[in-house]
Amino acid sequence: MKSFLRRPAAAALLSLVAAVAFYVIVGRADIFALVKAASWLNFAANLGIVALPVGLLMIAGEIDISFGAMIPAGAITTAMLSGHYGLPIEVGILGALALGVVVGLINGLLTTRTRVPSLLITLGTLTIMQGVVLWVAMRVVGNASIPLKAPEWAKFIFGHLMGNSHQVIIVWWVALALVFGFLLHKTSYGNWIYALGGDKVSARNAGVPTTRVTISLFILSATAASFVGMCGAILFNTTQVSGGMSYIFNVIASVVVGGVLLTGGFGSVMGIFMGTLTFAIVNKGISFTKIEPNWANFVIGTTLVLAMLMNEKFRKMATSYTPLKMKAVK
Amino acid sequence: MALQHEKQMSFGNLFRRPEAGTFIGLIVVYAVFALLGGSNFIGLAGLSSWLNIAAEVGIIALPVGLLMIAGYLDISVGSIVPASSLTVALIANHFELPLPLGIAGGLCVGLLIGYINGYLVTRTTVPSLIITIGTMFGTMGLALGLTVLIKGSTGVFLVADPFTKSLLGEALGGMFRVGIFWWLGIAAVFYFLLHKSPWGNGVFALGGDKESARNAGIPTRRLTVQLYMLSGLASAFVGVIQIIANSNAQVAAGSVFIFNTIMCVAIGGVALTGGAGSILGIVLGTIIFSVVTQGVFYSGLDTNLVSVVIGVMFLLAVLTNDSFRDFAQSFSAKTKRGTNA
Repeated sequence: MKSFLRRPAAAALLSLVAAVAFYVIVGRADIFALVKAASWLNFAANLGIVALPVGLLMIAGEIDISFGAMIPAGAITTAMLSGHYGLPIEVGILGALALGVVVGLINGLLTTRTRVPSLLITLGTLTIMQGVVLWVAMRVVGNASIPLKAPEWAKFIFGHLMGNSHQVIIVWWVALALVFGFLLHKTSYGNWIYALGGDKVSARNAGVPTTRVTISLFILSATAASFVGMCGAILFNTTQVSGGMSYIFNVIASVVVGGVLLTGGFGSVMGIFMGTLTFAIVNKGISFTKIEPNWANFVIGTTLVLAMLMNEKFRKMATSYTPLKMKAVK
Repeated sequence: MALQHEKQMSFGNLFRRPEAGTFIGLIVVYAVFALLGGSNFIGLAGLSSWLNIAAEVGIIALPVGLLMIAGYLDISVGSIVPASSLTVALIANHFELPLPLGIAGGLCVGLLIGYINGYLVTRTTVPSLIITIGTMFGTMGLALGLTVLIKGSTGVFLVADPFTKSLLGEALGGMFRVGIFWWLGIAAVFYFLLHKSPWGNGVFALGGDKESARNAGIPTRRLTVQLYMLSGLASAFVGVIQIIANSNAQVAAGSVFIFNTIMCVAIGGVALTGGAGSILGIVLGTIIFSVVTQGVFYSGLDTNLVSVVIGVMFLLAVLTNDSFRDFAQSFSAKTKRGTNA
């Protein structure tokens, strides 16, 4: 039991159980309808694909908020290239991903080359990309919603509804979670990320390529966001200029519920995954209850604060833990 | 010796003040938009347009800046503004109680949320960014839930009496809102608090090194709670001004303040990591932000690009502030060098 609580995902799992129990007991939610519903899973997948790299960035001690503009930017790029200009869909997809790489590179370079905190750097690129998206939509295309007709194969891979309800992006989310889990927990790259978040200077002295790791994480997070936007454009056959902003706090909240320490050095992919799931169920689950949906944000805020406090308690247990054997040696 | 040195007013000293870069930036930015916008921008209409923007964001940016000097962030300001507006309107309009009571109620909402923020920040090791995101969600939800529960809709109306309106919501000459004078007055109070009172030294000490500040006898917890209550109060005050001036309040309003205040403060040379900054810098940063935001509309530039211009200006500002700080900190005065040798 104690070893379970020491894992970063513990608080997320407990919050999830508590939130579902609250919805079922107080809100008299139909648990079977909730489990079968697609709304929270679709929401979680879109959120989760961004939350994975953002969580890794936070473990490395940095933060990225520019993804709030990169989601619509990815959508607009695909729709502009393949919809407005009629280029093949491959160009649109690659264009969106390339944009993510470029913006991520800029974020990474500015963060590693200067001492300005990444929150401020990415606040700057967030604002710039918002403007670029709006300008492209209004001036280049002349419309905030750009129509896009993707071929069948592209729709099948990136944007169709499985069983007419579940977005295919859910599969992407689970697959990416496995990839990120492998990266963070089984490779030296993952060790470097933890080292970065623990102590940058020591990490560099120990031979960790800190600059390269940081830049690669920023590229991953911006590209993941433009990927989500691209999938959305292909699924819905159109784009929206706004809509990414609410992601900023939702993603950060998911990652934090998942037990990642904002100051770096602590967290797990399982935790990020569970945190996203918890956040999505709390957010979307309320409509399956008899509670007024207007209270959703209040429930989210309360869950967030409770999860934070639990996380802190468990983290203390984890970091102050000494196995029995070692005690005996002392 | 050092004290004497500080009193010397040389060009070099002026240049090394933390707000020197911001001031130069303001001159450049204003000159560019004056050139592009011409007499429309320089004239009274242009002046009032950016001053009105500056006043609202500036009132919140002052305490948010103090928090940042002390090493903290406050995201919840964005939800306190509408929560306060709604409280004023619900008390004074829906329950038909006197307006001063409504205003007091609105301000109390800000103080209360500020207190909760400060309490959680000082009693846990959770970063303030996360805590205030939590209270932001909570406040937003509570405001929406209660408003719909009591009023049955997400918007609330209020018609203020002429006296209250003249104090809080009037526009002089139809252009200059009284909020501008409140902003300047509040800035003067904050100047005194931060730079002339021992309380202000505590704020700087908090942002420099919390552990040492506590050891030096500064009541760090109480000070932090006070700072969050100030930021809650200022946000609530802007909410009061908005409802009195606009006669209606929306639940969703206010989220723009979250990032705009951070931008103003950071442009003004406050270090996000704490310990450095000044009230003059915050005020200048707010003015730069507002001049750019409004200047684009007078300049003939494509208004769809307004965010691009703001973002580029912001990045340039924080990057130059960073190098300015290096310059200021690595400097050792000639006289000092002389004494050392």
